[in-house]
Parts: sequence; C-alpha cells; structure tokens
Amino acid sequence: MPRSFRTVSRPSTLALVLLTLAGAAQAAEPKGFLEGIRRHSLVTSTVPANGDQNPYAIFVAPVSAGKIQAGDVLIDNFNDRNNLQGLGSTIVSYTPGTRQLRLFAAIPRNLPQCPGGVGLTTAMTMLKSGWVIVGSLPSQDGTTKTKGQGCLIVLDAQGNVAGTIAGPNINGPWGNMAVIDNGATATLFVSNTGFDVGPPDDEPPVVNKATVLRLDLSIADGKPPVVTRQTVIASGFGEQADKDVFIIGPTGLALGKNGVLYVSDALGNRIAAIPDAATRTDSAGIGRDVTKDGLLKRPLAMTTAPDGHLLVTNGLNGQVVEIDPETGAQVYARWVDANKAQSPPGSGDLFGLAMTPAGDGFYYVEDEVNMLVLAH
Amino acid sequence: MLPGPTRFAALPALWFAAGISANPAVAQNDQEPGFTTGLWTRGNLLGDAGGARSGLWNLGITFGLQDINEVWGNVSGGIHRGASYDGVTLLSIGLDTQRGFGWEGGTINVSAWNIRGRNIANDNLLNLQTPSGILAAPTTRLWEVWYQQSFLDGRLDLKLGQQSIDQEYMTSQGSGLFLNTMMGWPMLPSADLYAGGPAYPLSSLGVRLRAQPGGGFTALLGVFADNPPGGPFTDDGQLRGSTRWGGNFNLRTGALVVGEIQYALNQPGNGDLDYGAAGGLPGTYKLGFWYDSAPFPDQQFDNTGLSLANPASTGIALMRWNNFSIYGVADQMVWQPSEGSPRSVSLFARLMGAPGDRNLINFSVNAGITLKAPFQGRDDDTVGIGIGIARVSGGAAAFDRSVTFFSGFASPVRTTETFIEVTYQYTVAPWWQLQPDFQYVFNPGGGILNPNDPTQRVHSEAIFGLRNTITF
Repeated sequence: MPRSFRTVSRPSTLALVLLTLAGAAQAAEPKGFLEGIRRHSLVTSTVPANGDQNPYAIFVAPVSAGKIQAGDVLIDNFNDRNNLQGLGSTIVSYTPGTRQLRLFAAIPRNLPQCPGGVGLTTAMTMLKSGWVIVGSLPSQDGTTKTKGQGCLIVLDAQGNVAGTIAGPNINGPWGNMAVIDNGATATLFVSNTGFDVGPPDDEPPVVNKATVLRLDLSIADGKPPVVTRQTVIASGFGEQADKDVFIIGPTGLALGKNGVLYVSDALGNRIAAIPDAATRTDSAGIGRDVTKDGLLKRPLAMTTAPDGHLLVTNGLNGQVVEIDPETGAQVYARWVDANKAQSPPGSGDLFGLAMTPAGDGFYYVEDEVNMLVLAH
Repeated sequence: MLPGPTRFAALPALWFAAGISANPAVAQNDQEPGFTTGLWTRGNLLGDAGGARSGLWNLGITFGLQDINEVWGNVSGGIHRGASYDGVTLLSIGLDTQRGFGWEGGTINVSAWNIRGRNIANDNLLNLQTPSGILAAPTTRLWEVWYQQSFLDGRLDLKLGQQSIDQEYMTSQGSGLFLNTMMGWPMLPSADLYAGGPAYPLSSLGVRLRAQPGGGFTALLGVFADNPPGGPFTDDGQLRGSTRWGGNFNLRTGALVVGEIQYALNQPGNGDLDYGAAGGLPGTYKLGFWYDSAPFPDQQFDNTGLSLANPASTGIALMRWNNFSIYGVADQMVWQPSEGSPRSVSLFARLMGAPGDRNLINFSVNAGITLKAPFQGRDDDTVGIGIGIARVSGGAAAFDRSVTFFSGFASPVRTTETFIEVTYQYTVAPWWQLQPDFQYVFNPGGGILNPNDPTQRVHSEAIFGLRNTITF
C-alpha cells in the first residue's frame, strides 16, 4: 500500500478513497472494441482503370510475396464498369505506407473451369504461401437470372490465374472466408449461396440450401494449393435472389475459441455457431443461435476483434455490431456510415470488413461510393 | 428607400451544405467523391469521367460542376405578364491536404458562378420574396475561396477566407426543397444587410469557428466583412466595381458577427454508439443571431430629424449605428410509416426579427410541410407546400404615411407580403432533378403602387416555374 495511504488516520476515509478509485477504474473499463475507435478516414477509391465497381471483399495480406507487401489491403470488385453485378473481375491492392492503389489482378471474364464467367465475391483470402484465393459468383446481365455456378480462383502472388476449384459442393461461393493457415496446409471455410437460386422476380423465394463448406488444402513448395478434402459443415441457411443486392445469404465467417466457426445468417438475421468446425465430418445444420435480431440488421461480413468479440457489418444500415460470442450479448453498434442519402442512414453501403494488422482498427468499404475506409 | 428585387437573390443551401455530424468525435472533413454505379443510379452524370474523378480524388482533388436552368412566368398580377429564362452554372474545386500532401485536417475550396438570363422579379413582379433563389445580376464571378483546418479529431474547425455564409447559417433542410429566394437565404438578411449580406451570389472575407462537442450539438461563430461590394447602402449592387467578377476583397466597411447553435435530434453521426434504444424521428433545431457594426440608414428620418418625406428634408437618412437580428430554425420529421421507409412527412419553420427603425423588413417567417416518396416507386421525389411572410417595418410604413401627409395625395402604406409555394421535385436520376413549381404572391412588395398604373397597387401574382438541375 502506498505510504500516503498508511498515513490516513480514518479507516472509513481510506475505504472511501479506495472504493472511489475502484469505481473509476471500473467505469473506465471498455465494454468492447468499438468504443476505442476515434476516426473514420477515407483511404482510397477502389476503382481500377477498367472501371470495375462495388468493392466487396477486403483482406489484409499476411506476407510479402510477388506484387504484394505484407499489410497491403486487397479489395475485389463485384461489378463491372457498367455497374452490372456479378461481372467484376479485378482485385486492387492498396499499400498504406505509400498510399498507392494498384491493380493486383485482372482475371479473364471467362475461365474454362469456372462455370458461367467471373464475378468476384466477398470470399477472398491470401495464404502465407503467397497464393490468393477468391470466390466467383458470376452473372451475364447483372442479376441471378443468368447466374453461373461459380468457382474459387487461385492466383499467384503476381495476380496470374494458377488454378480453379469447382465442383458440386461449390455454387456461388459468397461470404468472407475464414482460414486456418499452417503454411504447408490450410483450411478454408466459405459459404455457398447459389444452390437453386432463381431470377429476382417480384417476390423471389427464400431457398434454404445455403451451405458452409470446409476445404482442406495441401500446399507444396512452389505449387498451387490442392484440395485434399471437402466437407459441408453447415447447411440449410436461407438464400434469396434480390434485384438490388443480387443475392442474400450467409456472408460472414469468423473463427472463435475451441474450434467454433461463427456464421452471419443474413436472412435469419442471426449469428450462428458451428462447433468443431475444423474437425467435424458432418453438417451441423444451421448451427446454434449465438444472437438474433436486436441490433442486427441483415448481418454481412464478420471478423474477430483482439478482445475476441465479433464485429459484423449490417446490410440494412451503416452500423458495425459488436457481439460477445461467449455470452451472445450484443455489446453495441457503431455508426460507421451515417450517410443520410440512404434510409436508414448507410443502408446497403457496407459489405467487407477486415482488421488492421496491428489490431487497432478495421477496414471497411462504402460500396455506394467505391471507397475503402479505415476506422482507427 | 426601396431596394430593387435583385438585392434579394439568394440560394437554397444545396451545394455545400456543411455535413453536420451528430458526433463530432469523428473527423468529417473527407468529402466523398460522387462517382459511383451506373448512369441512372450514380450521383454525377459523368460518373468517374473516365477515371479522372477517382484519379484526382486519390491526389486529394475533387471537382464539381452543376448546371441549373429554369423558366418562370406569371399568368396574373405583377406589372407585366410573361415568361423568362434564367440559369446558373457552378464550378467548384476542392483539395484535401491530407491526401494532397500529407497535411492533416486541411481543406481548400474554390468556386465560381456563371449567372445568366433575365430576372422576372425585376421585369414583371416587383415583389419582395422573389420566386427563385438563383435570380441574380448576370455575370461570371469567383465565389468562395477558403481554407478550413480541423482540430481535435474534427471537434473544432476553423475556416478562413472568402465565404458565402448562406452555406452554413440559417439553413433548413425542409426549406431547401423550395425554389423561392425566401426559402434559401431568408428575406430578412436579404433586405436588411448591405447588398443582402455575404450570401449567394456574393461572398466576403471572414473567419468562422465551428465546434462540435458531441451530443448532437454544433456551434458556429464567425466574423465577416459585412458588405461584399463595399458601397453605400443605397448603391451596393452585385456588379459594383470588381464585385462583378468576384474580386472585391473588401475589408473597409463594418464587421458582421454571426453565431448559431444547432442541435441534431435523433440523428446518428459517424462514430455514434447505438445501444439498441428505440430511436425517435430526426429533427434539427437552430438558434442564432447576427450583429453588424456598420451604420444603417433610418427608414423614416433624415439626418436633421425630419421625415424623409418632408419637402424640407435634406434627403440624407439619419444613420443608426449598428444592426442586429435574432432567429430560429426548426426541421422535424413527424411521420414515417416504418423505420427505413423512404416515405416521410417533415415540417420546417424559420423565424427572424430585427429593429424596425433601420430595416425595411423587421420580421420574416417561412414554414411548410414536405412529403418524401409521395408515390410508390418514387422514393427520391419530394413534394411540398410552404408559405413565406415578410413584414415591412414600422419605420418604412411611417415613411409611407408621411408621404401621404406631406404630398396631400393618398399613398399606400406597405404592410406584409405573403407567398404560398407548391413544388414537386422529380428525381429523374440522382444527378438530374426536374422541379415544377407554383407560387402565389399576396400583396406584392407589401402593397406598392404599380408604376405602370399609379392608381393601383401591384396585384397578387400567380407564378409558374420549372427548374432543371444537372450535376455533372
């Protein structure tokens, strides 16, 4: 105990002082990650020279390889220059140190192994081995009327197509990927929202066939990843064609403690937990409810903050919601896009989400203005 | 002294309305570029302009080009009947110093007008509350040239340079829908300040401090040169000297101090935390004042204490030292069928008063109701009905009575002019608005005589207009 406290003559006063100090410390204790954010800074336009628009996936490079430096922000575009959804084919990279935006990859619109063309989605990751894997849910006319089955495209660190991953388990690989990366092996989790989805007519039905697929990869030195096993670990999520946003389905994937994979179920307006995600051999269905409704307004991309809380973007307003996955409590939501041009503010603007390497902030996109934004 | 209607030109604060954040803890200085999406959904006709906008944006540079063209015609009342065209083009260039050269928190803005066409208020109407806020003396002129620096993560910012204060002060979102001048820069400062004050199409040198301490509050305090053209009150036209091209950086006249406190109710700002409590309908409330240190001519008396209507008068008005006004502005959404629905009904009102001895207008009010998304599938359209009332001051009315007394001929005493406006803003695309408009003016000029028929007052006016706005 500090000397000055020992000189206090009245024990009741000492107790009072200690209680006050303890109370102040408790009051200063942050409830979550989002209250520590101070600024939202527009970082860069995400439009490459070919005019592709609608930035979706954001991924921060874990290593330097080829054209990419560790810490670069990779962003893909879902729309082409005419703003048709499902026709975007570019990935740009932004280097924070130099504030330079460059084209990383311009993928051919048609790849023989990718049924239906190329339209890059929120599913994107970069492995420690330097390979970039990105999902495609293509269209010919900007709607699901001409939707193709899609694929995963493997790019080398120079942005060249090195291979594709397709098959009956892959149909519209959509949501942001969760990944366990051990270097020579890796495990990818990706949601598929394309099974039996029709055109966006007046009232397109909700089809409960969306899945979460686990892909176990083997990566030999200098060789593209090879899929060693595919397992559908969750299934039965709602998916729906939409004339405004193309498709709605499970989008955010984030790994938590004890092998749990969290899934943002956009149509169910909930966060689901899939136990033993890395090891299970069967489907957990739509998983266990972690939290539902409340501040969630069509949850989309999701990531994990340093304190273990989940951060998820809302599709129907400009908020990021923070969730304690242990308790299921919705801590609060932060307005990151209060653009009053939409109602509610920021509605339809948010999609991708990624933590900064230092964990002191996160990147997100405002897709209505094709901007990358940093909250820090 | 009755200033000509061109003095009252002012503009709804549409272009650079300052983004007022309910939570200023987050810097709001970044101006989002307007390029996005397809032709019918993007904010600019030219979109990314072949990569130019996004390329310039990454260098910190933004540019804007907006063109407004309109036709107006009065089918009854006024001193003539007929129709006329007027239009403006606004070019603006901004530089974000952070993206430009790494200096955080700085913004430079330069803008210029081309103003053209005829002024139907001068030609046909002679009313006080002129039908369109863009009516002004034709010219091409530099408008605003300022530098803004933000501090404390955007909680404070300071703006220095040539400023048009109608962009930040006395603004009302609801009122801004309407086309009448009174619905933009209001009647009272338009009539009572030198040349209508530093407001469209004019601007003047000044410094403005803005504080956004949080909780939805914003405070503005600025000091500006009060008289953009720099002439006497009776000879203070928009084309006086170098004011014609916007090059009169006058500092030789009085100081105009303007302060305003704003409160944003139920409006999230970037950075606000939402704990899930039910939110109410959004509203904005403002209280403000202005004080002008310059001398202002008395409306009734000359410099020897005689009535200005007295044949023995020197004809030189008594000068009263300083002028002031207080005002309030309220905008409130009152109905929305469900959260997130584009359809909503909002009310607005602005009231302001000033001393009656030195001002032509000692009280003005405008108010109205707007309905957004009035029809299924027309989410970005807005229809509104509004009213504006301008009361001619007791001093000016006393002068009118003195004219009768000294001349022996019955002469009308000016009282109040009122207008009603009905307007529909049809959004063809975010970059293209068409706006048909109808206004009816009761007692034009407050009840002035028709110069073409001095036995009659100017009769009430029915005015139709159509405005076309393109944002390139």
